[in-house]
Formats: sequence, structure tokens, C-alpha cells
Amino acid sequence: MAGNFWQSSHHQQWLLDKTDLIRDRQHDLNILTEEEYQKIFNFFASIIQALGEQLKVRQQVIATATVYFKRFYARNSLKCIDPLLLAPTCVFLASKVEEFGVISNSRVMTTCQTVIKTKFGYAYGQQEFPYRSNHILECEFYLLENLDCCLIVYQPYRPLLLFVQDMGQDDQLLTYAWRIVNDSLRTDVSLLYPPYQIAIAALHIACVMLGNESQKSWFAELNVDMDKIQEIVRAIINLYEMWKSYDEKKEIQGLLAKMPKPKPAPQR
Amino acid sequence: MMDEPIIRYEKIDFLGEGQFATVYKARDVKTDKIVAVKKIKIGSRLEAQDGINRTALREIKLLQELQHINLIGLLDVFGQKSNVSLVFDFMDTDLEIIVKDNNIVLTPANVKAYMIMTLKGLEYLHQNWILHRDLKPNNLLINREGILKIGDFGLAKAFGSPTRINTHQVVTRWYRSPELLFGARQYGTGVDMWAIGCILAELLLRVPFLPGETDLDQLSRIFQVFGTPTEEIWPGMKNLTDYVQFKQFPPQQLRHIFSAASDDLIQLLESLLAIYPPKRCDCTQALQMPYFSNKPAPSVGAKLPMPSNITKLETEKPSLKRKLLENIDGGSLAKRLQF
Repeated sequence: MAGNFWQSSHHQQWLLDKTDLIRDRQHDLNILTEEEYQKIFNFFASIIQALGEQLKVRQQVIATATVYFKRFYARNSLKCIDPLLLAPTCVFLASKVEEFGVISNSRVMTTCQTVIKTKFGYAYGQQEFPYRSNHILECEFYLLENLDCCLIVYQPYRPLLLFVQDMGQDDQLLTYAWRIVNDSLRTDVSLLYPPYQIAIAALHIACVMLGNESQKSWFAELNVDMDKIQEIVRAIINLYEMWKSYDEKKEIQGLLAKMPKPKPAPQR
Repeated sequence: MMDEPIIRYEKIDFLGEGQFATVYKARDVKTDKIVAVKKIKIGSRLEAQDGINRTALREIKLLQELQHINLIGLLDVFGQKSNVSLVFDFMDTDLEIIVKDNNIVLTPANVKAYMIMTLKGLEYLHQNWILHRDLKPNNLLINREGILKIGDFGLAKAFGSPTRINTHQVVTRWYRSPELLFGARQYGTGVDMWAIGCILAELLLRVPFLPGETDLDQLSRIFQVFGTPTEEIWPGMKNLTDYVQFKQFPPQQLRHIFSAASDDLIQLLESLLAIYPPKRCDCTQALQMPYFSNKPAPSVGAKLPMPSNITKLETEKPSLKRKLLENIDGGSLAKRLQF
């Protein structure tokens, strides 16, 4: 939705404070280190991405689903709902909210089964996707409730397109920055900063990666809090640093085993 | 949101049933406020498989982002199993009931007040790139404070994307614009403006202005009043998907149909009901027309009429009324949103 970001629920209710966020995660961070926590979220962002691609939804839907997922766990411990159930639920809800065609629940179920088996066998081994469609339906409600019914999420893609246009259309720059925005979904920045700042940070990183000096004056003329941009840049660079020394295929089973889990018996 | 749903809302009365939902009047035990609870129907087994109903989701997602005194406020959402209920401001009546109530006199000042409130709510919607797409007297809700709020966002949708193809099966037929009737898939705020024009006409005539019996009859009735458009008046009309050639009707003078209406009102009507969509005024332009600054001044608040049964309810249960008024006066929402 276009609408007005400044009056949106995203701006008014869902730009969180970093110290609050860390405090709310305390329970999980007693069990996992901050790095382990991030690696787990990185893994489930990959699951959401893979589900979205398999279902052929647009990147906008995938991004919204990922933000729903992060918003949910910003308030809840990982043991409240198994992230393996919440991830497809987020894709299911986001596809409806973004109004890009109908995805039936049964299609979501078969996609989950296929994707887990073919792409994430290294994490789940021979284990089947353990949930049924009624679990997703129930989880959808719980998700909606925990999102405080705030369903419209603003993404950095549109501001990014506008900025690149303003710089004088550079397709290579756009491609790089677009991917960086996708990567930023694996950090906390979408919970902490408005999307236009994330777009600027992504452009900044892209320019540095490409050794593009010609846009220096464009950045200099921006009327934006550069400290915030630097914070976002740092968060994304930290992710890239983490990736360098991280072999998900080796470590993920251990991380998933260590992750706080729901009690096996029904909670309510 | 969604806490203790069953205990929190005490059903008082059945209010109505639509295609997608049943509406109840209820008391919010937590705040002692009277609210309207819209329970979304589950529909078929097949639909239930698709989780939270899309119409309800659309209403939730949009109303959560929109706050305006002239738009219905979404207060809460709760669910049991696969059944969602939305909790709204309680509204005593709507414009359809008022128009049909022969005991109510609609003065020019009353009509002006309804139009201002409708246009302001709709202006805000359009500024947020949302089309309502189902405006009709029945969706213009009014409370005993005399505040009109646009309701029912089940068909509302974001607009403005030039590539987005929309369905033309929207808007109740009598309020449907000629471009929708000709099957246009790319349309804009004009579809809502046309509906407002039909509603204004209905306020003056006290019967629906263009009560077509079929889509073709609807177009025929439109052209009998405004004249059959030519290619000069409406360039590109013949390229629309469902275009059909109509008999050449000459245009009529609106002042002959609305003989009691003032000139400035006729001017507004003509602008809202322009056949060629780009010629139709938008909300901001409409509100700046002389009609709204000329006399008489619009009736405010309690000066607006109410159906008699609502007044009766007030005298019977004074305590309830007092509580309601207190709630509305003290309601943070209305004050915060006044602009």
C-alpha cells in the first residue's frame, strides 16, 4: 500500500528501541549467545525466502513475511511457537495481505514438505515437515494478534528505486543495493530503522563495494541522520563478517537442538 | 487486542446481516462502551481452509492505518478458532435509514453537513491512495452526536499503480459510475466521486436517483439524464471492454430534476456526476466549491435529525445515554483525530 509512512502503524508502533529489543530477548539470550540467536534467524529467513520462491510470490511478500516473523519474536521467546511453524504462517498471511493472488493452504503445506526435504535436509535430516494445515490456521490467528493487527509493512525497495532514479539510473548499482536490502532482512534493522534509511545504507554499501566514487556528492547533499545510516551499515557489514566464518550446514543442527522449544504438550 | 473475547463483549442486540458478516450491538465490559461487533462468516468448508477471511483482513489492515473522525474506527479484533470478529465504534443509524424515514425533514443545512463529513472522510482516504469502492447511503454511518463516519471497507483497495488491473464488479449498481458499467479495469477516485453524486441526489429526492434494474438499464438511466456521451465528450469510451452503443438521449437540465436545489448545489452535482471520468471533481476540489462556503451553514452535531426510535431509546434509558455521551466526550480517539 502506498499511504503515508509517517502516520502508519509501522512508523508509530513498530520502530523499536534497541535496548528494549535486547531486553525482551533476554530469556532466549540466557540460553543462546547473541551470535547463535542471529544464526537461527538467518536460517529461518532462508526458509521463508525458499518457501516464497517456491510459491512464486514477489519479493515484497517474502520481505513482509520476514518482518512479520521478526516482529513476532521481538515480543516472544522462541519457545512460544516453533519457528518452523511460524515461518510458513508468515508467508501465508503476507501473501493475503499483499494481495498478489491466492495461495491455498494445501499448496502451502505441500510446498513446506518439498522445501524442507529438498533444500534443508542438512538441518532436518530425514525428518518430515511435522505440521498440518490446521496448525497453520491456528498459528495465523496467534500471529495476527501478536502483530497487534498491524499488517502493512513498508519496505526499502520503493525508496531504493526512487533514490537510484534520482542518482541517475545505474542498473548495476540498483542490483547490488537490492541484494543488500534482501540481506538486511537477516539483521534487526527492519525492526529498528525506517525503510528509507535502510535503502540509503544499502546504496552506501553498494557504492563502496563497486568502488563508485561518483555518488559522493549525492550522499553529501542528503538531509538525513548519517549516524543512523552508519548504524545500519554496521549491522549489515557485521552480517557479512559473520557469514565469512560460518558454515551453516555444519552448525545448524546443533543450534536447532539448543534452541528453546515449546513444551510438547498443548500450552493452552 | 484479542484478550478475553468472550467475556469482554456482552451481546445486546442483533443489528444486521450482510454477505460476509453478522453485526451485533454489544457492551465492552472493560470500558462500559457500546460497540458494534462484526462477526465474519466462515463461509464454506473450502473457504475456511484459507484461514482468516480476506475481506476481514482487508478491513483490518486498512483501518489499522487510517484514523479520521469521518471514518469508522476499528477498536479491536478477536477470534475464536477460525472465526474473526472485528469491533467497531457503535453507530446509531445510517444515511439510508434517515433518507427513508418520512418523519425526518432534511433541510439544506442538514444535507450540507452530511456532504462535508462524507467528503472529508473520503478526501483522507484518497490522500492515502485508497479507494472505497462501495459507497452508498447504507455505508455512511451516523451516531447520535451527529458525526458521520464512512464504514465497510471490505471492498476498499489501494490504487494508483498504473499496471494494476482492477475488477469492475464493485460498487452497488445504483451508485456505480458509467466507466465501471462499461467494464473499465483502470479507474480512480472518480468511481467514489460518482457514488457521492448519486448519494447527494438521493438526499434531495429522498428516493434513489438512478435505480437501475440491470447494468444496461443503469447506463440507460444515466444517459437519459446526462445525455448519451459522444466520442468528443468521452474520448476512448468505445474502447472499453463492455462498451455498447446506446440510443442518443439528449442531456437534461439538472435544475429541472432538482427544482428546489440552489444554484451552487447544482454546480456541485454537475461536477460530481460528470460523465467523462477525468472531468469529475475530486474531494478537495468539491470542498472548495462555493456551495460549502455559501449560506446556509451546515447543521452541526446534535442539530442533525435522528430516527425517532433512537430518541425514544434515549428517554427510556437515560443512564445509558449519559454513559454513551461521556464515553464519546472522553474518547481520546475523536479528540486526537480532529484536524
